[in-house]
Amino acid sequence: MDSSMATPSIAADHRPAHLQLINVWKRFGPPERQTVAVRNVDLAIQPGEFVTLIGPSGCGKSTLFNMIAGLIAPDDDGSILLSNKVQQDYGLLGKVAFMPQRDLLFPWRTVIDNATLPLEIEGVSRKAARARAEALFPEFGLEGFETHYPHQLSGGMRQRVALMRTFLFERDLVLLDEPFGALDALTRSMMQRWLLDVWAKHRRTVLFITHDIDEAIFLGDKVVVMTARPGTIKCAERINLPRPRAASVTTTGEFIDIKRRLLAVVEEESLKTFGGATLA
Amino acid sequence: MVAGGVTWRDRLAVVIGLATLFIVWQAATMLFAVPDYILPRPLDIAWAIVERREQIWRALLFTLAETGAGFAIGALIGIGLAVCLVLIPPCEAVVMPLAVAINAVPSVAFVPLALIWFGLGMGSKIAMAVLAIAFIVLLNALSGLKKPEQGHIDLMRSFGAGRFGILWRLRLPAAMPSIVTGLRVGLGRSTIAVIVAEMLGAYDGIGQIVYQSTAQVDYLSVWAAVLTAMLGSLALYGCLVAIDRKLIWWR
Amino acid sequence: MKRDALLRSPLPMLVVLALAWWLVVPALKIEARYLPPLGAVIADARSVWPDLLAGFWRTLLETVIGFFIGAALGIAAGIGFAQWRWLERGVFPIFVALQSVPVIAFGAIVVIWFGNTLASKVVIALYLAFFPIAVNTLRGLQEADPQRMALMRSFGASSRQMFLKLSLPTALPTIMIGLKIGLSLALAGAIVGEWFGDTVGLGVMLLQALYFEQVPRLWVLILTCGGLGTLLYGGAGLIERRFIWWRAE
Ligand SMILES: Nc1ncnc2c1ncn2[C@@H]1O[C@H](COP(=O)(O)OP(=O)(O)O)[C@@H](O)[C@H]1O
Ligand SMILES: [Mg+2]
Repeated sequence: MDSSMATPSIAADHRPAHLQLINVWKRFGPPERQTVAVRNVDLAIQPGEFVTLIGPSGCGKSTLFNMIAGLIAPDDDGSILLSNKVQQDYGLLGKVAFMPQRDLLFPWRTVIDNATLPLEIEGVSRKAARARAEALFPEFGLEGFETHYPHQLSGGMRQRVALMRTFLFERDLVLLDEPFGALDALTRSMMQRWLLDVWAKHRRTVLFITHDIDEAIFLGDKVVVMTARPGTIKCAERINLPRPRAASVTTTGEFIDIKRRLLAVVEEESLKTFGGATLA
Repeated sequence: MVAGGVTWRDRLAVVIGLATLFIVWQAATMLFAVPDYILPRPLDIAWAIVERREQIWRALLFTLAETGAGFAIGALIGIGLAVCLVLIPPCEAVVMPLAVAINAVPSVAFVPLALIWFGLGMGSKIAMAVLAIAFIVLLNALSGLKKPEQGHIDLMRSFGAGRFGILWRLRLPAAMPSIVTGLRVGLGRSTIAVIVAEMLGAYDGIGQIVYQSTAQVDYLSVWAAVLTAMLGSLALYGCLVAIDRKLIWWR
Repeated sequence: MKRDALLRSPLPMLVVLALAWWLVVPALKIEARYLPPLGAVIADARSVWPDLLAGFWRTLLETVIGFFIGAALGIAAGIGFAQWRWLERGVFPIFVALQSVPVIAFGAIVVIWFGNTLASKVVIALYLAFFPIAVNTLRGLQEADPQRMALMRSFGASSRQMFLKLSLPTALPTIMIGLKIGLSLALAGAIVGEWFGDTVGLGVMLLQALYFEQVPRLWVLILTCGGLGTLLYGGAGLIERRFIWWRAE
């Protein structure tokens, strides 16, 4: 039942995967009081693909991301492959551009110094780092704010600074953990379209967490649904909506069909979390 | 850090640390035959405390009583003043500059004046303790009472709460953590203020033992008195930490 | 704007206080033993002017030298504690305890150790300043947000970069609080240190004024000590506002 919705189109994709997860598990705590956060995850992402990951809160999405970023080690059951190479524990640190849920800007750094932080860490000279960042400012809508401090910016702008920081850390695989979760609906939809533009230009492989179905469908080449905790992949659906996508795409019949199908699956999982919470 | 559970490993680490300190101290003073007036041996100090226990115990109680009285009065003054300033904001323009000016003077500089004003008895020591604690508690209480955001205050007002309702149900609970921090810092300061005042003139107390023993070149007694005072102030500190946990259960 | 700042500063209040002192003492016939008339205090200040200046310099010097050495040692110790967990577990609680030792009581012993010189006062000031600075450095360094640390690690940061770019800037506001506490304790330490025997310094003059019950002199000295304190804290505040204006979130 769980895998009945896996579409054949995914199995048919035979290009070598950029990122591949094989039977990845993560358990927390001592054996007698164990929390299984992530269970038996198999996932493959092609180069240049935009994959959105959706699932009820607490299902293990961030944990999965932390493993892909190399921040925590997966349990020994399975493995993570980047460009077909098996990765050692923590071996992924510095290889993946990772943007956590909060913007995590440093309050003592100006906007531009926040953006160039990863370049500084790589050892790029201050001047070269600034030059590279300055080129991105118009595209990220931050022109004129180079020397502002984070507390002087709005939520949407802070998020764009965090995104710019992630993009300046030039890695082919980009992980975005609910980057627009805290924004209001209008700002959020503008940021979504803007992100697609940026992605179309830079063509990185993107894995994007969200809990918003519209966002998942609108952005993704593929939507992956996770089950309630212990989280595993419930199903995946390829989205063949034409690109570039305009805001109006969300009102087409095709979009609504996909949404209806995904909604049924996601609701089922959310209910499990909800029911579990009331029982506990 | 304070509230976190203390494991047996932490305790063991402290015991090992203390034991190392004492063994090194004892061994070094014996090995190099360090004279008492430079650095006495820990065992000799312990023996001196046992020998002079009656005198030291009386002095300790005396000092603790002065500190306790000053602490209580000073804390009440500090908190009371902060509450007044929050209830009647214009007063702040008058009280705060005065408080800041008094605080700019290191409190030890007031010791001679306190002795002249209040005499050699307990009064002058209590006054010094009050001075040492009132300002820090005032500052901490004031910043704590002002911590609630306008949103929370407006919510309370929409429920029909008046100034006192907001003070009692919102501001005071919000201020508790910083008030307790102020009390903790102030306790150390007032102990030191009391002992310093006793050293310049008193009828009894740890500071007076220190003064007389120094004059008689009896440094073993100085160490005995100081170590006892340290244990006393640690005990007070422990009480305060326990109160802290009771008062601020939501952290 | 300028006028506002002036109104909020303690300056006008001090003028009002001085006026009140000047008018109220004769009006209420307050005994000079408790509060001498302002005129008497000013006259006394003029009569000891050279001594006062010398004492001011001497005490300032003791405080500043003691403070800087204490700050350097305290910050180094705090970093050491943050670096080595076993050191923190075994020694840090003892540190917290030592902070409550009325070290001033050891003044006489310190004078035996270091002689009746500038050094002994510097040592007392240094010792007092050391502990709050060490404790606050450790607390500050432990404040770094784990999520920011994870972000830095995902960029491949080394532990050196982690320290310089994240832990230290996060800790600075807390360290600054420790420095300000340490500064006030260093000043107190210098003053009391002089009580154990010296010839120059504000502490010496305080003791002499007490023995001879010169109440106007006491007030002159209290005001001078206040001036010295204001100078030191004002300087620290300026540095803080200029360089460490951010707060932990
Ligand atoms: N370090 C940890 N220790 C113990 N449990 C954890 C830890 N990290 C996450 N978890 C648990 O794993 C589950 C998944 O968390 P998370 O990945 O943050 O969920 P999501 O991002 O999908 O909302 C949660 O139940 C959480 O309590
Ligand atoms: Mg999450």
